[in-house]
Amino acid sequence: MNHTQDLELFPAHRVTQMLFKDVKNAAVLRQSAVDGKISGALINPTMLVDPFQVLVAANKAVHLQTIGKMKTRSLYSEIIFNLSPTNNISEAFKRFGISDGDESVMVVVVHKKDEVQLLSDITARVDGRQVPVEDVSSLSDPAKIKKLYKIAPQEEKCGNLLDAVVCRMATKDVM
Amino acid sequence: MAALEFLKTAELLKQGAEARVYRAEFLGKPTIVKERFPKRYRHPTLDEKLTHRRTTQEVRSILRCRRAGIHAPVVYFVDYTSHCIFLEEIMGSLTVRDHIASSQQSDSGVEQSLLQLAERVGQILAKMHDEDVIHGDLTTSNMLLRRSQKDGESELVLIDFGLSYISALPEDKGVDLYVLEKAFLSTHPNTEELFEKLLKSYAASSKKSSAVIKKLDEVRLRGRKRSMVG
Ligand SMILES: Nc1ncnc2c1ncn2[C@@H]1O[C@H](COP(=O)(O)O)[C@@H](O)[C@H]1O
Repeated sequence: MNHTQDLELFPAHRVTQMLFKDVKNAAVLRQSAVDGKISGALINPTMLVDPFQVLVAANKAVHLQTIGKMKTRSLYSEIIFNLSPTNNISEAFKRFGISDGDESVMVVVVHKKDEVQLLSDITARVDGRQVPVEDVSSLSDPAKIKKLYKIAPQEEKCGNLLDAVVCRMATKDVM
Repeated sequence: MAALEFLKTAELLKQGAEARVYRAEFLGKPTIVKERFPKRYRHPTLDEKLTHRRTTQEVRSILRCRRAGIHAPVVYFVDYTSHCIFLEEIMGSLTVRDHIASSQQSDSGVEQSLLQLAERVGQILAKMHDEDVIHGDLTTSNMLLRRSQKDGESELVLIDFGLSYISALPEDKGVDLYVLEKAFLSTHPNTEELFEKLLKSYAASSKKSSAVIKKLDEVRLRGRKRSMVG
């Protein structure tokens, strides 16, 4: 049920996404992330259109880490920051990170090929039901996403919501 | 650098004077990578500045077009250290250039569909100019036709914004059209009527077209004078 993609630009790295529903310990999970006990980004799936959106954020985070130009303190906070259309870090966490009462969570881990233990460590911490990552589209809130990314109806004429979101994420530094 | 290392394994599609274009798989998707390389004859600092500006302008123009509902490739990733832009590969498409050429070869009766295409191009360029995007390199090779995933209609996708910039000046828009006119008429013989249709449709669609067409006329005149002297 995990969704793993190699980062072609960084051959040593791959990104694994895991989606959980009926999560009962979101507050504990969030605290563990803040304390650095979870090596993964915990994302609110209602703000996600598709797993590709996460890959774009993760690739950019690894790139910025490699050249020493991250805007936040860790790779995982950088992934969350990259999802956001604005440069406000705390707003990015509020919108794209999980909140204490959340019942679903997308976990994103950047790891080496042989670091599979990292993944089962996280799975063990989540009190919830793992579902296929592709199900994220059934959890997403298109109205909220369109509002936050400021996507007008005319833009959807030339592509889908994912296209519009990805374009903004990729270009936000020069807008 | 990661991107440059990656490009060694990619398929080189085009080697230009300013940039190389590659095809590769990126994050699992078919992707076009455009790499702007350093120009040795320029001062390194100046070269870096110019290259950076071109890259940001290209990306901004694409976003501005898409926001206005004009088809252009999705931007996946921009690497400002190696000056690479990673773009959606427009799959299953045909250049307007090839479409016109093959239509001209086949029997008559396609006249009507080419006129309709010219009309659509005029409308899209009018919309682009109304957004103050100057393409900078309009040719029929930089326009792609693709079957829509939504309704099977063919869509016109603008590509290669490498020389583009933002400007509200009618002069810049007039020159943009002049560049297209030169390219159009030299690539496609006997298409004066077709280009005429394109301009008519542009004029009818753009809110600010009269100043632009006036500038186009001036630029044409200058071009002609230059060639008489020249
Ligand atoms: N949803 C999350 N996923 C992963 N890391 C997080 C998350 N929320 C907070 N963190 C980490 O905890 C740090 C402090 O977050 P905060 O409590 O928002 O100030 C951040 O910089 C992140 O490194």
